[in-house]
Amino acid sequence: MPVIEVDRLYRTHGHIVLRRARTLLGSEHDAQEVLQELFASLLRSPGSVRNAGSIVSWLYQATTHFCLNQLRNRRTSARLLEQKPEPEAAGPRAEALAEVRSLLSQMPPQVAAAVVYHHLDGMTHTEVAEMLGCSRRQVGYLLERAQQTLQRLEQSA
Amino acid sequence: MSTPLAQRLWPACLSALQLDRFRMGELSGAAAEEVRAHVAGCTRCAEAIRVLSVDEALPPMRVVPLQPRRSSLWRRRAAAAGVGVAAATSLLFVLRPAPGVRSKGTAPALSMYVQHGGEVRRAGPGETVAAGDALRFAVTTPVAAYVAVLSIDPQGHGSVYFPLGARAELLPAGQEVPLPIGTRLDATVGEERIVGLFCSAPVELEPVRAGLESGRGTLPDGCQETRWSFVKR
Repeated sequence: MPVIEVDRLYRTHGHIVLRRARTLLGSEHDAQEVLQELFASLLRSPGSVRNAGSIVSWLYQATTHFCLNQLRNRRTSARLLEQKPEPEAAGPRAEALAEVRSLLSQMPPQVAAAVVYHHLDGMTHTEVAEMLGCSRRQVGYLLERAQQTLQRLEQSA
Repeated sequence: MSTPLAQRLWPACLSALQLDRFRMGELSGAAAEEVRAHVAGCTRCAEAIRVLSVDEALPPMRVVPLQPRRSSLWRRRAAAAGVGVAAATSLLFVLRPAPGVRSKGTAPALSMYVQHGGEVRRAGPGETVAAGDALRFAVTTPVAAYVAVLSIDPQGHGSVYFPLGARAELLPAGQEVPLPIGTRLDATVGEERIVGLFCSAPVELEPVRAGLESGRGTLPDGCQETRWSFVKR
């Protein structure tokens, strides 16, 4: 992908990354950082998106990867998890997101990714399997592993 | 989707991915028609797609994809400047010979190009630049070296312009070789100091950045540095 196309992709699809990072991290500042980092990574390794069947799917995967890394980073995670939702973002969804965020940081990477795709994006197991490059059976296994951790949230619903 | 948690987090029937792919035109005819028909009769999915479609202004890309075509103005300017690079006067060298690095007569050098509007100019010492200008650096090094470009902004914040990774990046010997990425200036005004680092090993840059910021850093072993500054107005 020529760099000029990265610039075009940023303008046409950047909002998908920003919105998703905002949801996953709950911080406008950190979401903006992820947006910049992700497109900077495309300049380093443009082949990754060039070979993707779906640009939107690739951006979902890459944003998820960047954000989960942020949440797993101990210092970043502590700062993000201490944040209160912005007043305009308050509500049942924002509260649930804040709780899920704290749980994601404690989950193994593939389990956390499965939770994001299934619970936050509403993907079916088939869609999650395509995103993770595994079988539907494996997705079921990953979500089952997450279920115990998520039980507390389910009960508070 | 059937769990209460999922309903709280994503209330629509179709996934965010499917709706995003639909509105970005990625779905094939039949799949797109299926989504269109569903959304037309489903208030939850219609609302979800409305939220996904909210148009918002993005900030400019911080890393500017300035990689030029072979005949670009950036490259022509760099090539022209390369002829006289040995006499580059914009750089103050603080040399510390790197073990095992032999000079062939040309010292490592960093030069800067500024794109203001449609014009590209080679920057000189104390160059005045403006918010929104794009910067691009070029390096000259007589031997392959691990290179980094760092800066201290007017507020004293240190940052790494190049490379994007955590360590200095190996570049081959060459004259006025444009770095593959540039940057666009924000609105902060004042003097910004630039440090070009040329090392014989892939040094970690965070300690260097932190050292510059604190003013108490020391040059890593095996590195040479060049310093200059520009003024943002």
